[in-house]
Amino acid sequence: MGEWSSRVIPIVRGLCLLYVTHKYLGTTVVTYGPSMLPTLGITGNVLLMERISTRTGKLRPGDVVFFRSPENPRRVVCKRLVGMEGDQVTYVVDPKNSDKCNTIVVQKGHVWVEGDNIYNTKDSRNFGAVPYGLVEGKAFWTLLPRKDFGSLAPKPK
Amino acid sequence: MLPTLNVTGSMLLVERISTRTGKLRPGDVVIFRSPEAPRKIVCKRLIGLEGDQITYVVDPQSGDRCETIVVPKGHVWVEGDYIYNTKDSRNFGALPYGLLEGRAFWTLLPRKDFGPLTPKPE
Repeated sequence: MGEWSSRVIPIVRGLCLLYVTHKYLGTTVVTYGPSMLPTLGITGNVLLMERISTRTGKLRPGDVVFFRSPENPRRVVCKRLVGMEGDQVTYVVDPKNSDKCNTIVVQKGHVWVEGDNIYNTKDSRNFGAVPYGLVEGKAFWTLLPRKDFGSLAPKPK
Repeated sequence: MLPTLNVTGSMLLVERISTRTGKLRPGDVVIFRSPEAPRKIVCKRLIGLEGDQITYVVDPQSGDRCETIVVPKGHVWVEGDYIYNTKDSRNFGALPYGLLEGRAFWTLLPRKDFGPLTPKPE
């Protein structure tokens, strides 16, 4: 009994540490889809996400963030943060059809997110500003593919 | 949330399993992160799930005008029990489901309210 528990307890401790890290510090995330080209690839990237910036409120426009989708609560979405609350955001309403722009002020407690690939993305242009409570974390490092290893690129012009 | 919850404060037991498994029903008292102040947790009653048609009184203090909406996908509609003094979905719109934190199912304090929470007063 003593022998068995001396082997199990370190495992349990390790799992607890892993869980606390995952929930409060950060974790790895696998992304897929074309909405963040050219920053993230279609076939998928493995990114490191940290949760500390969201908790301390130290997010800045230009950060790549993960948030729970307002349309599908079981899905976590990855987009770039474009505007914080109170910021004035000008965006192209429908890039495929016209150049018509719209300007809005991001409401209190919300953030404006956009995909880097504006021709193929569902972002705040579709579902509006995202409540800050849905933001899960900020991506700060790419692990895979190997050619992209390193910090994430800023928003392409 | 009068008369269900006390003005001076109630202590409730909240479970997070119903929100994760999606087993919430209209009539449940839920807690959620406020869409306007992300560091604040708010407690209201769940009135409608996604796809439900909700009829609500727009401003109870100034008339009986009602409005009907359909709750959009991925959202819920929450209202306070005391409609004359509450900020709820009538003010900030339908709430994204991802902001829900848990469901209150038992009152611990005050002692006179000890027990399961009452259903919505008519």
